[in-house]
Amino acid sequence: MAMERELLKNAFSKPCTVIYPFEKLEPPEGLRGKHEYDPEKCIGCGLCARICPSFSITLKGGPGPKCTGLLVDLGKCLFCGQCEEICPRDAIWLTTEYELAVINKEDGILDFERTPPPPKTTPKKVE
Amino acid sequence: MSEREFVIPVGPQHPALKEPESFLFTVDGEVVVDVEARIGYNHRGIEKAMESRNYIQNLYITERVCGICSNAHQTAYTGSVEEAGGIEIPERAKYIRVFVQELERLHSHLLWVGVAAHEIGFDTMFYLVWRDRELVMDLLEEISGNRVNYAMPTVGGVRRDLNKDNFMRYHKILDTVAERTNYYIKVASTEKTILERAVGVGYLGKEDMIRLSGCGPNARSSGVPCDIRKLSPYLIYDEIPFEHIYVDNGDVLGQVLVRVLETLEAVKICKWVLDNIPEGEIAVKFNPMQRLPEGEAAYLVEAQRGELIHYTISDGKNMPYRHKIRAPTMANIPSLIERLKGGYIADIPITLAGIDPCFSCTDRMVFYDEGKDKTWSWTEGELSKYRKEWYSK
Amino acid sequence: MSSPFTTLVAVLIFPGLSFILTYGLWCQWVSRKAAARLQNRQGPLHTGWQGILQPLADFIKLLVNEDITPAAADKPVFNYSPIAVFALPLAATFLIPIQSLTNLWGWDPIVSFEGDLILILFLMSVVILAVFLGGWSSGSLFGAVGATRAALMMLAYEIPLGLVAIGPAILAGSLQISKIVDWQVASVNAFFRAPSIQGLAVVGVLFIGVVIYVICLLAELELKPFDISEAETEIVHGWQVEYSGKKLALLNAGHDVKMVLAAALVTSLFLGGPAGPILPPFVWFILKTTFCVLVLTNLSVLFARFRIDQMVSGAWKYLVPLAVLQVMAVVALSGVI
Repeated sequence: MAMERELLKNAFSKPCTVIYPFEKLEPPEGLRGKHEYDPEKCIGCGLCARICPSFSITLKGGPGPKCTGLLVDLGKCLFCGQCEEICPRDAIWLTTEYELAVINKEDGILDFERTPPPPKTTPKKVE
Repeated sequence: MSEREFVIPVGPQHPALKEPESFLFTVDGEVVVDVEARIGYNHRGIEKAMESRNYIQNLYITERVCGICSNAHQTAYTGSVEEAGGIEIPERAKYIRVFVQELERLHSHLLWVGVAAHEIGFDTMFYLVWRDRELVMDLLEEISGNRVNYAMPTVGGVRRDLNKDNFMRYHKILDTVAERTNYYIKVASTEKTILERAVGVGYLGKEDMIRLSGCGPNARSSGVPCDIRKLSPYLIYDEIPFEHIYVDNGDVLGQVLVRVLETLEAVKICKWVLDNIPEGEIAVKFNPMQRLPEGEAAYLVEAQRGELIHYTISDGKNMPYRHKIRAPTMANIPSLIERLKGGYIADIPITLAGIDPCFSCTDRMVFYDEGKDKTWSWTEGELSKYRKEWYSK
Repeated sequence: MSSPFTTLVAVLIFPGLSFILTYGLWCQWVSRKAAARLQNRQGPLHTGWQGILQPLADFIKLLVNEDITPAAADKPVFNYSPIAVFALPLAATFLIPIQSLTNLWGWDPIVSFEGDLILILFLMSVVILAVFLGGWSSGSLFGAVGATRAALMMLAYEIPLGLVAIGPAILAGSLQISKIVDWQVASVNAFFRAPSIQGLAVVGVLFIGVVIYVICLLAELELKPFDISEAETEIVHGWQVEYSGKKLALLNAGHDVKMVLAAALVTSLFLGGPAGPILPPFVWFILKTTFCVLVLTNLSVLFARFRIDQMVSGAWKYLVPLAVLQVMAVVALSGVI
């Protein structure tokens, strides 16, 4: 009988759970969720693909100037954020978006496009 | 087996077990006569996988050895790597590691209280405890960016800093958690149905516990003082004032007591860390391609379930030559079996839950010949020979 | 009941089969929702207003599910015991006074005769026999353990349950439920006209009776703290473990009907049955039984589960002597009145 008072208090207060698909909690700042990519900043170094502990990132087209973008397989991703940490140009980062369920496995692969920069004639112009 | 006895299988799939593991109970009526445990349903080859990844990648694999003690595994892993590589981490990083570790202990022990209540059929307490545990989970999510796998420690420090502006709020949350824990202590010590199911259930004395070398809250509930944080302090635990909790009840009530009292201690430690954390860097630079000097190191951590050992051998490359994990549940299984014998069928779930089992950390591979009733395991040389044969096929 | 037509309507529609089944679903919803709110949860929510149609949806879903009979089961017993578990409490509800079809203010039960209280107690015991057979024949170890536990529990609670049910019957001087209700109405009216110490004593003694009765009903309905024969974490739903599909739907419906029967018995024996001022009898019946369901739900979320040995020895140590004392007090009082 030790909990009777607590129970009655609960009965007349709002349930602590939220009705999820209709009511959503705000994710805290810094939550590690879906990836975002900035093709302008990316230099195609491929460090993210090499550090990824679950090998979920693949470089399209090959490293360096040949790189035409990234494929991020969310099904394999651990959301550790190591790719964000290692990227020298902050070109890939994690957002707070957490609703990532998909029907097909293929839909869970993020396809980031990037136009490779035109071949430079003089290496001095590279920033 | 006499005529009156029959065998009840609990597991690999059973509501009392949250992870697959098999226990065969020989029962006489409602009384358990003998127990046979079979582990190995959850073997994932993590130690092997770690040998082909570098030290940074391995961080996130060790974290996934166990969902609840993810930070404990990471702390032990980073500790062993830093010791092998002679890396000195900044003071602030040590404080943050302790803070996250104690928050994890808080939520893990509250989780256990809920699970234990559920095992004896007290679902109301289960729901309410888990509701209050959510405070800690939200706090961890805010600090680290994830609810379960925090990924806070890294080789050379921690990955995220604590923001000083939020400390007042953290203090308030911790106060609420302590207040709720005190309420649950009151409920557990006055509710007669709980006491009926906890007092004297699954008793194991101090001598037996030492003989069977249990660890963690399981051993401390039988009066064995074995908290690694006190016996061989790591990080900054030698500076923190906190009690070494152990009781000599030896039964499920003792396990409840140890865990709830440790919850209160964890709140105290967290508050101390918030008050005393020094300013400074949070990590020293560690390149993922960096090679570690040859050497080996073992690191002991008091995880929520007991003594956790990570042992790493480096052969001078940027990935470990061998990394061995000894998870606490493995050490607790012999004493668990002793606790189960002589009890009732109805007490099986709560006694099983009593050691807070985490079978996925535990499982090892052992060969077993049923005809000859012989068990053996392979040495490293035999394993690599097998691997060569397998891949040459 | 006057004509065969009204009898037929009474048996099949109101207050018989259809009403009891619908009301059983209502009770299940009340119970689930109340338990959820007491535990600070939402409970059923999406099917109908506040999830009021959820029990019906569950029932239909189970009817559609695949029905598996284990190869090791004793098939006839395994197949027929759910029918018994469903039909026996349903038959017992026909003896409860709810509402007369011919008279808006009357509450004649569908069937009524001297000694129908004994029949109800008998039917409730036979349900446990069906439960035992169903669990034992399922060919599962957990089913067998659950069945033995159910039978052991019956040995513990059936005697105090029967004893305290006899209390009101002794006071009313009849074993007919409708006469017990009539006696309660008459004596309550008499008490309000001329309050007396004896009247208060009767209320006190009957209060002890109702406490014992509710405890026994918790065991009868396999609610916590006496859900020992189901004990999900120990023996995986006990005697029901092998049932699926239509049979499980029947078992669940049987549980709902048992809930109605239990609440209706408390109402009829101790709370004055369907009688009450202003409103017609069936409204009072619904109000009072819903209150009983709420009390049972509250009790069932308040405790941890007992062990079978604790339950049996507790029942014999405390409940049975208390029930005997209560009956003796009732006998002593019945001489006074």
